[in-house]
Amino acid sequence: MFKLFKEIGRAGNATVAYPAAPLDLPDGYRGKPQHDEAACIACGACAVACPPNAISMELAADQSRITWAINYGRCIFCGRCEEVCPTVAIKLSKEFELAVGCKADLEESCSYPVATCARCGKPYASAKEIDYARRVMMQAAGAGAAAAGAEGDVDAVTGATLDAEGGELEGMGAAGAGASELAAAADKISLCLECRRVDDGVTAQKRATEKGGAR
Amino acid sequence: MIRKEKKALRMGETHVEAVRSTFPGAVLDATWQAEDQVTITVPADMLPDVVEFLYYGRDGWLPNMVGNDERSLNGHYALYYLLSMEGADPSFVAVRAEIDPVTREFPSVTPRVPACVWSEREVRDMFGLVPVGLPDERRLVLPDDWPNDLYPLRKDSMDYRKRPAPVSDMENYSFLYEGDAEETTQVPMGPLHITSDEPGHFRLFVEGEEIVDADYRLFYVHRGMEKVAESRLNYDAVTFLADRICGICGNAHSVAYAEAVENAQGIEVPIRAQYIRTILLEVERLHSHLLNLGLVCHYCGFDTGFQHFFRVRERAMDLAEMLVGARKTYGLNLIGGVRRDILESQKLSTIKFVQELRNDVEALVDMLVSTANFESRTAGIGRLDPKIARDFSPVGPCVRGSGFARDVRFNHPFDAYKHLEGLGVRYHDGCDVQSRTLVRVEEFMDSLTMIEQLLDSAPAGPILTEDWTYTPHKFAMGFTEAPRGEDMHWAMVGDNQKCYRWRAKAATYSNWPILRYMFRGNTVADAAIIVGSMDPCYSCTDRVTVVDVNKHTETVLTKSQLESYCRRRTYSPLQGRGDA
Repeated sequence: MFKLFKEIGRAGNATVAYPAAPLDLPDGYRGKPQHDEAACIACGACAVACPPNAISMELAADQSRITWAINYGRCIFCGRCEEVCPTVAIKLSKEFELAVGCKADLEESCSYPVATCARCGKPYASAKEIDYARRVMMQAAGAGAAAAGAEGDVDAVTGATLDAEGGELEGMGAAGAGASELAAAADKISLCLECRRVDDGVTAQKRATEKGGAR
Repeated sequence: MIRKEKKALRMGETHVEAVRSTFPGAVLDATWQAEDQVTITVPADMLPDVVEFLYYGRDGWLPNMVGNDERSLNGHYALYYLLSMEGADPSFVAVRAEIDPVTREFPSVTPRVPACVWSEREVRDMFGLVPVGLPDERRLVLPDDWPNDLYPLRKDSMDYRKRPAPVSDMENYSFLYEGDAEETTQVPMGPLHITSDEPGHFRLFVEGEEIVDADYRLFYVHRGMEKVAESRLNYDAVTFLADRICGICGNAHSVAYAEAVENAQGIEVPIRAQYIRTILLEVERLHSHLLNLGLVCHYCGFDTGFQHFFRVRERAMDLAEMLVGARKTYGLNLIGGVRRDILESQKLSTIKFVQELRNDVEALVDMLVSTANFESRTAGIGRLDPKIARDFSPVGPCVRGSGFARDVRFNHPFDAYKHLEGLGVRYHDGCDVQSRTLVRVEEFMDSLTMIEQLLDSAPAGPILTEDWTYTPHKFAMGFTEAPRGEDMHWAMVGDNQKCYRWRAKAATYSNWPILRYMFRGNTVADAAIIVGSMDPCYSCTDRVTVVDVNKHTETVLTKSQLESYCRRRTYSPLQGRGDA
């Protein structure tokens, strides 16, 4: 019995002031994912990675806009979205008080314009995503072959984005690619996948004939 | 892949050879999935013989049995009896048999090895395979109102989003009474429970206050996770679903699943990632064991102790929060490694946490064991006979409280457990609630030591590897020692980046079948503490039906009635109700 009272005395006050005072949270706490709609390029990487399907991407019926949406009721705060985001547009914050009075308030969404193909006019990807890829590639092209050192990160991003785009330009961002080649690839970005495939087919055929001729 | 050259024996090979020489012609095929995992294929009618031989003849224990619909792969259903060989040549041996897709019959192993009973009942529910000779013909997993001919885990049966219309309005589950007293009283506890998250319906058969037998029905909240993993999620997102199997020891499941896939695919997880996984598994054990120690206080009527264990437990949760960013060690595993490193500053504060926890818990345990109630309420209560334990393969502190040194961390060291020094399996042979509690206390202290050792010796390096190729239809086991005992996962990935079959066995699945034997001979007032000593996750039974065999009456008790009776042991809720 004495031990018990001694322990009670030693323990002192075990409670904290929360909610009267803010709760002290460690760095790296995984709370509500905070979406930065300006930085987001609507590439959909987070929606693909999200294990519980809390994040979704939906294309409008007329294909003119694509909507990014999150349902905090489904979120498991794993932070996969943060890991895969190429532009740091989503980050887990320290906010954890997510209770709402009405279910619809658990959802947040944000819609982005969809770009159309410069040749055939078909809608094919989020305009911001295309713009982002173009900027990254122009930057890489500008830096030229010297891109190896400090630009290494950007190169990696370029490679990843292009892989996601369909893979046919992969490796372009890697060291060794010529600046002119990069610029040409950046040019092609305004075309939809189908048109690019047609172009690539034509190029490949041309190359094959040239090779055949040389022999 | 039968070995050609005779060099050093592979792990588990002595068992394969023993089966070969005892049952000539029985081993149709033997393949190794991982260094210490071998699967032997035997004819279906040899199953009982081979499993019994390995189980009783060669120190095998049965963590799990897996059914798999392999009709699209080889035209058959398949059963895998997973055996953990814990005597000489420690390894895992899976006994596989192909089952005819038309007759769907196989000889039940349960009459020879009782530990198979739940798995065989489950495989009948989920695949419609018929264990011929299985004594217990009742459903295990599916609800009473489920159609008779719909088997959810068959590949061609149903969409996971649909639920069939109920076919019955009645609860038609019968509770079995195995005692020999002619007249008993039945006490239903449930469908919501006294200490576990899972609602369960317990029926206690009593004579006066003494429990003569007990039966129970669980799976009221079966979530169909295996089906969801096979249909909706990609195989690499299942680690996050596996986390959610348990509200307390989710990380153990997540690691077990990840390692099942890694073993199958031959992925070498970076050493540092293995250390981090191990450290987090032990952090999980800290808060889980503190929770159970708190509950033991609660059931002994020592609520001050309960509050203090929970106060200290909160520090263990803070430790988890500091390391992983959430109160639970959730969402940390990927196939091939972990997602967060432990930084130098985190390492230093972890060591501080560990010292603080050690001092606090030492004082609390001192306080608990010097409480008069603790001794009188736990010693000799809820006896788990070692023979019953041997027959049913229970796990964790339950089996370790009955004198068996079974702990997958030491029997089959995995991850960084291989590198621990000076630690061993903790076990007691009192076979009662007290022994199980003391095992937990000692394991808690060991966990602290492990965390210190591992933090000190963890090498630097990468924490995730992506250097491997995905091969469909390879399968293997993954295992961890969760706070409640061993979690055993079996996973086979398909050709569509999804699990073809994922079987997750939680520790308590192995422990439920022994509960009825632990109940026998105790009083109704001890029922809650006995269930609590099994630590079946958390809120056990909310309601209990008490059936008086003499008077043929049924009384339904609420959780609070039973709990308060357990704590005070006066004002029996059964009193004056006999003639109702």
